[in-house]
Amino acid sequence: MKKPAIGRRGFLKGAGAVGAALGASAGGAKPVAAQVQPVSTTAPPPNQAAETLPPAPDTQQQTSSGGDFMVDVLKMLKIEYITQTPANTFRGLHEAIVNHGGNKSPELLSCTHEEIAVAMAHGYVKIEGKPLGVLVQSTVGLQHAAMALYNAYCDQAPIYMMLGNSVDASKRLFSFEWAHAAIDPAVIVRDYIKWDDQPGSLQHFAESAVRAYQIAMTPPMGPVVLSLDSEMQENPIPSRPALSVPPLTRVALPQGDSGAVAETANLLVKAENPVIVADRLARTQAGMDRLVELAEVLQCPVVDSGGRGNFPNRHPLCHSGRSGAVMAQADVILGLEVNDFFGTTHVLSDRIERRTRSITKPGVRTINISAGDLSPKGNNQEFQRYQAVDLTIAADAEQTLPSLIEAVKRGVDANRKSAFEARGKRLADTHHAMFEQWKSDCTLAWDVSPVSLGRLCAELYEQIKNDDWSMVGNGIRVTWPRRMWNFDKHYRWIGSSGGAGVGYNAPASLGAALANRKYGRLSVSIQGDGDLMFAPGTLWTAAHHQIPILYVMHNNRAWHQEVMYVQAMCNRHGRGVENANIGTTITDPNIDFAMMAKSMGVYAEGPIINAKDVAPALKRALAVVRKGQPALVDVVTEPR
Amino acid sequence: MRGLFRIAALMVAASAASAWAQEVPKGDPANGKKVYLATGCYQCHGRFGQGGLMTGAAPILAQTKMPYAGFKRQLRSPINDMPPYPENLLSEKEAADIYAFLQGLPGRRPVKDIPILNNY
Repeated sequence: MKKPAIGRRGFLKGAGAVGAALGASAGGAKPVAAQVQPVSTTAPPPNQAAETLPPAPDTQQQTSSGGDFMVDVLKMLKIEYITQTPANTFRGLHEAIVNHGGNKSPELLSCTHEEIAVAMAHGYVKIEGKPLGVLVQSTVGLQHAAMALYNAYCDQAPIYMMLGNSVDASKRLFSFEWAHAAIDPAVIVRDYIKWDDQPGSLQHFAESAVRAYQIAMTPPMGPVVLSLDSEMQENPIPSRPALSVPPLTRVALPQGDSGAVAETANLLVKAENPVIVADRLARTQAGMDRLVELAEVLQCPVVDSGGRGNFPNRHPLCHSGRSGAVMAQADVILGLEVNDFFGTTHVLSDRIERRTRSITKPGVRTINISAGDLSPKGNNQEFQRYQAVDLTIAADAEQTLPSLIEAVKRGVDANRKSAFEARGKRLADTHHAMFEQWKSDCTLAWDVSPVSLGRLCAELYEQIKNDDWSMVGNGIRVTWPRRMWNFDKHYRWIGSSGGAGVGYNAPASLGAALANRKYGRLSVSIQGDGDLMFAPGTLWTAAHHQIPILYVMHNNRAWHQEVMYVQAMCNRHGRGVENANIGTTITDPNIDFAMMAKSMGVYAEGPIINAKDVAPALKRALAVVRKGQPALVDVVTEPR
Repeated sequence: MRGLFRIAALMVAASAASAWAQEVPKGDPANGKKVYLATGCYQCHGRFGQGGLMTGAAPILAQTKMPYAGFKRQLRSPINDMPPYPENLLSEKEAADIYAFLQGLPGRRPVKDIPILNNY
């Protein structure tokens, strides 16, 4: 066989030499085309230069990227996960995370909607105590994420968000790149985040990344947003050694003024009927432990408003279930991170003329230790009605408790101690009677269909009580768990949405379950049907990333709070409630949540109509969860 | 003298019981159930009167101990957040029927009869 005149290697070699020569001349003063001799004296066809010359230099590969550096910074911050819905404006960082960073600490988690990504971060941080990262598209992605950011802001939860943005208009190519760019992308959420920045360089990014973390984690905690230029993520790093990453240093959290703390202790010790109200107090187990210690020293009732897992509900001093009674008797009320002090001390009447009435005694002394006022905003009104508290201590309550406890201890003499013990005995007796009453109440409607919520919660607790369980969601504040279960650890309960924005419960529960996974805890969530339909893709994320969680549907086939509100309007107008279901119910057709969950790879059972079928279904589903997978049991329930 | 007081007390008690009986019109529990469901009472108080929660607690109504007069007053001019049920929305007879229905509902069961409630 005759060899070709030029072999493949020889051809490439020759082509390479030509290319190198042309490339070298391309950098010279003369245009490349000027060095080429015409092949004839006739005018060349118009496309001859393009067909015979190599393209202008176009570097196609690189060995470093700004995204790689950003990943190094995120690793220093010990960000374990990043939730995201993929998008073009952060493709540079995306690629760096999965390749340069090995998709480990941080690991990308896929979400079908940005609202899910943020709500997962919201739930996660309330268990883990440190944020995960959230990556969103500028403009369109951020708008999807906005609702969940608002919830987190109201709930004082730190969210560490990064968004991709094409800053330099001359570099935007396709129409969607223009639609996904903004001069100031964070402006649309600035009313409900703590801080944001759009770094102009990688060094700027490193410093802002650390600053953002510290701001987010300093009480009052809240969301932060970093806008990351796409080019900065994607392009090579000019000089990596020239870049430095500041260390994440400690921040001492604000503690109450010593004089104010001593005054508070004095009031509490001298009071005949002091009451402690805790809302978003306990960020950690230490927060719960400290509150227990303070209550036990004083032998006074605690009302846990449920913003966090603040106080063990089965403790004899827990009187959350009779808050009206203890508040009415109080001569001193100490609030701990109470956002709505007015609502705590007043009855509100939802009538034509909206009235309020104080439930406290005249002369009651009130104190609130809260970091809430340290970072106020003006537009959204989540700060609630103003209450003229006698003494506001602008500080972090969990951090202030140790000094308050010591001050109280110093003030207790033998006489007061004896009085405290007598008070504690009375409170314990009342607590016991209250608990027995609730058990009796729970027997009502025990065997009915649809399933009563008391029965549902009793059946669920029976099956998890010997596990290290964590209730990561309770969409519409079902009261039974907080009455009957034993919330003896901080992580048993993570609080609610903050902004009452529907669509929080399912993804926030999943985020908390993600955090619980490494501790081997069993995560359970009571899930409203209306809430799940805002973010059903949460179930796919649960299956895809194998996050163990049991969702128990509280399926009342309605946005039920609104049913009751519209009923109230109907009767206010004397028109009857016949039409109150229009626009408020989720029927015709009924949603088959089990089928929906199965379609996304989640083990599911239901709809369950009969109470006797609940326990076996829960047992089977929990077996799946204990093996590390998500499961859902759809129970058709009584409305409330 | 002591016997006289006893007789007087019995007479007062009998009189009160009589007044109580007169205050409670005889209702039709079957119709009461229909009206209870149709007028949306169950949305807050549960289909079996087990109580629930709106913005505040919706009380337990099964076998309610509330006197009929108080029950009716709460329907017509409710305290807290309950919607009002004036007579054009709920007749006197329907109110009595609902009351009869509530009295006939199964009440609490002994906790000891439900094993899982004894494991707390």
